Amino acid sequence: MPKNKQSRRGFLELLLASSGLATIGAVIYPATKYIIPPKTAEANLSQLKLSFSRKEIEDDPKKAKYFKYGRDLGIIFVSDSGELKALSATCTHLDCTVQHRPDLGIIWCSCHNGRYDTDGKNISGPPPKPLAIYTVKEDGDAILVSKEDA
Amino acid sequence: MKTIRLILALVILALSPVDQIAAAESNCLTCHRDFEEDTGPSHKITRDVHFQKGLDCVSCHGGDPTLEDMDDVRESKGYRGVPDHREVPQFCASCHSDAAYMRGHNPALPTDQLQKYKTSVHGELLFGKNDSKVANCISCHTVHEIGSAKMPHSSTHPLNIPFTCGKCHSDADYMAAYDISTSQLDDYRASVHGMALLERQDLGAPACNDCHGNHGAAPPGTSSLSAVCGNCHALEAELYNLSPHKNAFEENDFPMCETCHSNHRIIKPYDAMVGSDDTALCSECHSHVDGTKGLETAEGISMAIAELVAAHDQAREVLEDAIEKGMMTTDEEFRLKEVDQLLIQTRTLVHSYSLDSVLPKAEAGIQKADSVKTNSASLIDEYYFRRKGLGIATLFITLLALALWLKIRRL
Repeated sequence: MPKNKQSRRGFLELLLASSGLATIGAVIYPATKYIIPPKTAEANLSQLKLSFSRKEIEDDPKKAKYFKYGRDLGIIFVSDSGELKALSATCTHLDCTVQHRPDLGIIWCSCHNGRYDTDGKNISGPPPKPLAIYTVKEDGDAILVSKEDA
Repeated sequence: MKTIRLILALVILALSPVDQIAAAESNCLTCHRDFEEDTGPSHKITRDVHFQKGLDCVSCHGGDPTLEDMDDVRESKGYRGVPDHREVPQFCASCHSDAAYMRGHNPALPTDQLQKYKTSVHGELLFGKNDSKVANCISCHTVHEIGSAKMPHSSTHPLNIPFTCGKCHSDADYMAAYDISTSQLDDYRASVHGMALLERQDLGAPACNDCHGNHGAAPPGTSSLSAVCGNCHALEAELYNLSPHKNAFEENDFPMCETCHSNHRIIKPYDAMVGSDDTALCSECHSHVDGTKGLETAEGISMAIAELVAAHDQAREVLEDAIEKGMMTTDEEFRLKEVDQLLIQTRTLVHSYSLDSVLPKAEAGIQKADSVKTNSASLIDEYYFRRKGLGIATLFITLLALALWLKIRRL
């Protein structure tokens, strides 16, 4: 067999092997990246387990904590009766973040003095409608929240 | 003819809804509708809340509604006709100040309107100076189509209030006798409140009566501004009351909010209002040699806000780029909302006029904005990495296909 022909065959084998391997790599790499979960877990939108305990909420000066629920911000707080309640934390007037005022027993928006009762109902000021309500379940130390209409 | 009218009246009575029966029992509408235009009282009255509640013409104008001749009605017992402009407040108050009577019609309605009206500038001029031009009840509530403030057609519905007040207050000729500006309506329409109410139809935005009162309408005095503006801007008022400006303004008789924000033409606050240069409002009172640290503080606050705004805008720009490239940006969008809130809080803290309050909040915002920017930039890097990867993978697949083709050809 001529030397020239042999080297062409060797090159072809090499090309076949290397491009085959590279193609397998090009398939396996993105597939592996897809399987490995991202750094921050995406919220399970039917129910969310909060990363803090009831005691941490009770120890907060405003007896409240915020949580991320999908794209929404929620607020969970301990009401006067000791019940854990959770509402959307976005004011229905101009989207400011509301806060719990245990001294007044209300949910308060500092932007325009909008007030809601602890069931999220708008009771005074500019907010045009109530805050969305989350259902709260306590399972041992775990706190689970879900959208009321889910 | 009169017989036909009577038959017509009976037919109307039979066909009318229950709330119109009272008025249809009289001959007033039957005759008045004959000669009045469509905009006349007898036609407009169906939109009137009193008519809808069962009151009729006689309830206000008196007289005997069963009489068919108008001259006979005028001569009849109890006929009051049209009250004089100065008599209108007492005329309306004969029912509206009677708590027992009002309980039977609208128990939730206050009965102190006349009492409040007497304390208003309008009431003082009418009762004190016998002024026949000044606003009385019907100037604002209209007559024959009076509606509650919840009815969209009502002159006292929030969206109509500026024009109800402006009807007199923006009429330079009408107001010539009073030493008062007539630019309030134009100023209000250009204000942040006017645009919110009239353009965005945000019923939470204040109309004239929210600051001046309704029946007791008067300009809020310097000492009342804290309560008037603080009614909505509670946090700003609270911060101001704890700030060094409170005493300084009181000593100089400066109205608290109005000094910086004006009154009717309250424009949307902008960051350059605070600072040490000549265009900033702070320099109108403060100078570098006035013995206070006013301008230094203003400069510090101005720089902190400017840095936060720049960090926020850069983060948003990079994030928008990542969104456009189709990357999963939910977390960063959420975090940018947190930066938005920190920016609002930092701007609100300006009312403390304290760097110690403003700086920590601004720094927290800058830190968060920088992290959004870095994470969004990583997402954009990831996008380019994937794109390059796709190009390289395509090259490998093409080479493999070529090698296979050559191999097959050799077999």
